[in-house]
Amino acid sequence: MNPDEVSKAFVEHYYSTFDSNRSALSNLYQEGSMLTFEGQKIQGSPNIVAKLTSLPFQQCKHHITTVDCQPSGPAGGMLVFVSGNLQISGEQHALKFSQMFHLIPTPQGSFYVLNDIFRLNYA
Amino acid sequence: MEEQVEMVGRAFVDHYYHLFDNDRAALSSLYQPTSILTFEGQKIVGVDDISSKLHQLPFDQSKHLISTIDSQPSSSSGGIMVFVSGSLQLPGEEHQLRFSQMFHLIPTPQGSFFVQNDIFRFNYG
Repeated sequence: MNPDEVSKAFVEHYYSTFDSNRSALSNLYQEGSMLTFEGQKIQGSPNIVAKLTSLPFQQCKHHITTVDCQPSGPAGGMLVFVSGNLQISGEQHALKFSQMFHLIPTPQGSFYVLNDIFRLNYA
Repeated sequence: MEEQVEMVGRAFVDHYYHLFDNDRAALSSLYQPTSILTFEGQKIVGVDDISSKLHQLPFDQSKHLISTIDSQPSSSSGGIMVFVSGSLQLPGEEHQLRFSQMFHLIPTPQGSFFVQNDIFRFNYG
């Protein structure tokens, strides 16, 4: 797969996992992974998953508008920059958001998220 | 270590948008031949082509107003990810354009940073 295909596949997998089985996101993070969620910094897969599963909504659906990707350097890492809408059950208006991921290849031929930064885009 | 990354991120953002808004041609000092810019989905590689693209944007004057800056260390030794959101005010335009931008900064031997990766997107309402 070329990098654009890899990033699209990752984005689809990430958000469908988030929207259907949030705790399974733990497979995508490792001990050194970092998440900054609306300015709050969290490190390591268990803490990151604890944060994401404790967000104040049970059900949600991410609708992705744009996906941009670039190679991050000679080690095979990829940067993925996403914008989209987050629809939360019971909420009338969807929340616009931007998110960036830095994906690092694993020996098994997959990727994990080293860096993850999420921001809502307020009007 | 964490605070230092945040300080570098803030200093870089201040410097970058100050140059953009006051001396756009000088942005070329922040990119190298391996740098990649994706501007609203268009991918441009290398400092020369990136400088041309930024020079040719359809406005001569601009003011970036920054709302949020988030920084994290990246895997490359000493590299830093910087994620910015803000508004772009153009002269004569009534409404500001909201945008998000991410930079991947790599340290130079001289103790500074250059932009290896740059992705820019407007946030349409």
